[in-house]
Amino acid sequence: MAHIDEYIEKRTVTMAILLSFDIDGTLEFGEPPGGVTKEMVQRAHDLGFIVGSCSDRALSSQRAIWKQLDVPFAFVKAKHQLGTVKGEFPADAYYHIGDRDTDVQVAEQAEFGFWWDHEAVSEPWLDL
Amino acid sequence: MPRPIPVPDATSKPFWDACNEKRLIVQHCTYCDRKQFPPEPECRECGWHFHLSWLETSGRGTIVGYSVTYESRIQAWHPEQPFNNVIIALEEDPVINFHSNLPGVPVDEVPVGATVEVEFLEVTDGQLIPEWRVVS
Amino acid sequence: MAKETGWERNSDPLGIWEHRGKVAMVGRGHSTTDRRWDGESMDKTLGAYSLVAAQNAMEDAGISPDEVDGIISSAGGQANGQPLGEVWAPRPYFDPPYDSEDGLSHVTAEWLAKQLDLKNVTYMNSHGDTVWNLIGQAAQAIGDGRATVCLVTYPNGNMAGRYHQESSLEASGNAQWSSPWGWGLSGQGFTFDQYCRKYGSNHDRMAPFIVQEHKNGRLWPYSYYALHEPEPFTEEDYLNGRMIAKGLSIFDCDRPVQAAACYVVTTAERAKDMKQKPVYILDHTESAFRPRSLVQTLDDTEEWTDIQAKRAYAGSGLTPDDIDLFSPYDGFAVFTQYFLEAFEWRGVKRGDAHDFYAGDISLEGPNPLNAGGGNMGTGRMRTVFITDSMEQLQGRAGPRQVKGKAEIAVTIGVLPGNAGCLVFSSTPD
Repeated sequence: MAHIDEYIEKRTVTMAILLSFDIDGTLEFGEPPGGVTKEMVQRAHDLGFIVGSCSDRALSSQRAIWKQLDVPFAFVKAKHQLGTVKGEFPADAYYHIGDRDTDVQVAEQAEFGFWWDHEAVSEPWLDL
Repeated sequence: MPRPIPVPDATSKPFWDACNEKRLIVQHCTYCDRKQFPPEPECRECGWHFHLSWLETSGRGTIVGYSVTYESRIQAWHPEQPFNNVIIALEEDPVINFHSNLPGVPVDEVPVGATVEVEFLEVTDGQLIPEWRVVS
Repeated sequence: MAKETGWERNSDPLGIWEHRGKVAMVGRGHSTTDRRWDGESMDKTLGAYSLVAAQNAMEDAGISPDEVDGIISSAGGQANGQPLGEVWAPRPYFDPPYDSEDGLSHVTAEWLAKQLDLKNVTYMNSHGDTVWNLIGQAAQAIGDGRATVCLVTYPNGNMAGRYHQESSLEASGNAQWSSPWGWGLSGQGFTFDQYCRKYGSNHDRMAPFIVQEHKNGRLWPYSYYALHEPEPFTEEDYLNGRMIAKGLSIFDCDRPVQAAACYVVTTAERAKDMKQKPVYILDHTESAFRPRSLVQTLDDTEEWTDIQAKRAYAGSGLTPDDIDLFSPYDGFAVFTQYFLEAFEWRGVKRGDAHDFYAGDISLEGPNPLNAGGGNMGTGRMRTVFITDSMEQLQGRAGPRQVKGKAEIAVTIGVLPGNAGCLVFSSTPD
């Protein structure tokens, strides 16, 4: 995983970066399953990213998914509430990852950066 | 914004043609003395077509209620989300209702009960559709 | 697949149904419930699931395929005969029996009869309609002597992706009156807006009803949620739902699923020899209305549902006080209140529904509304309304079995503007 080592080496300045994951069509435990794996989410968490989900799933269901991922999460939000994350978690950069036009729309409205699910499988946040 | 454009058919053509002349018309059954909109080949009450004529309306109405669309099934509308969907009841016959997006009125700030007047919006070259603006 | 007409009970004033108590439901069968078909697994097609449901229903009733002489299937699931979900075309078809849409996006009675090798079927019908109307039609056919043991199947499919999306910029036909203004699910929001203004309520007051439906649905083994999202659905979940249209959040819309159900309907006489306790049909009524103008208003909705209630009471000879279990459709959750108030179940009058929801509507209490969980608690299969009504009256609803009396059940669906109503009883009179 030279990619990861490179990232750790490069990341000398600590920047708070928040990653919001959609679930269905994005995470591997979604329905339909997406390409973002437990390992990718775990790695982001371990490297200090603030991770959570923002999905059309009920909040209870989102919490259950995180339990399945077995990764500590900072937040669960309904899709239209993405912007509220900013007030709760001060960070230098905010990104949402999803698979639908609605994801793009909520990311734009909340002024988040956006990656499609298929882009996210290469963990582009590691290049920040 | 490109939005879905009405495609007139034999029954609806007089209505859309009148819109292009900035006139709001509805069908009228002279036998039943009943207005009808949207237009149909026959009067829904008596079932006859030969008593049906077109009647110019006052072009005034009242807002009877509304919703706001946050996620439309119509892809052309996606860039406009969220937008108002307002229902107007015609002044002279409140059973007759029309759609409006109430241009210029902020989303979810629709004045229910307000009086409105028809205006016409060009949605493509040569085709106007009825729209409404609040007058009081 | 011409639509058979003339069987509906929809002429006012209605008298008591001539076959009251002489037709019975006995067996029910379900497939499992998936979110969607993956386009590959041939054992999970809508056809395959319909076969599983039919076999389960026959086994439940304790009958062999040779005893079946009638079969009714909803080819599409909708009243207009169209599939509720998308069609498979233009993608290439598969080897028989999946060499056409039949078995993939819809399932006809003819397809089922062939696959099940039903040799003695003399009555077959596969025009599209919803499950309430199909059972009404089966009841009438059996009462009239056109069949004795009838399978009624109801498949509802969901392919990959999202359905009912509109990409055309040409608004023709009915769409010329709605698409130029982006009208769609806002229709439900508008009627709900009128309701809340007239009676002084708001969307949040729906919460206790939706939460209870999810709770009930988690207790039904075929519910999408019981199978795939078993964690409890809470008031916090509901109140945080994203609005699709004002007055209609994502949790007021049922979730499309891939599933099938089948019922065995027969004569009361024949039912006595079958494996399960008969559930007698006291009445079926049907209704279809059109808005007076462009869109359905609250006035339209209340007028139509009032007529539906009047027909059901006139046709069955019952009063609101006779109904132990009431299961009005909730495919958009706002429908339920219109039906509930029209039927005046438990004395609920116009404008009272949200107060009623705030009371005790649990399975243990006196007002078990939608004891099966409705579509909100089970997914868009529409069949829990029938199955739960049967199981409650048969005393085999397991953890959903209501604590109170379970002798008369009434269910109605799907739309205030187009519905079938069924009155079930644990006794024939």
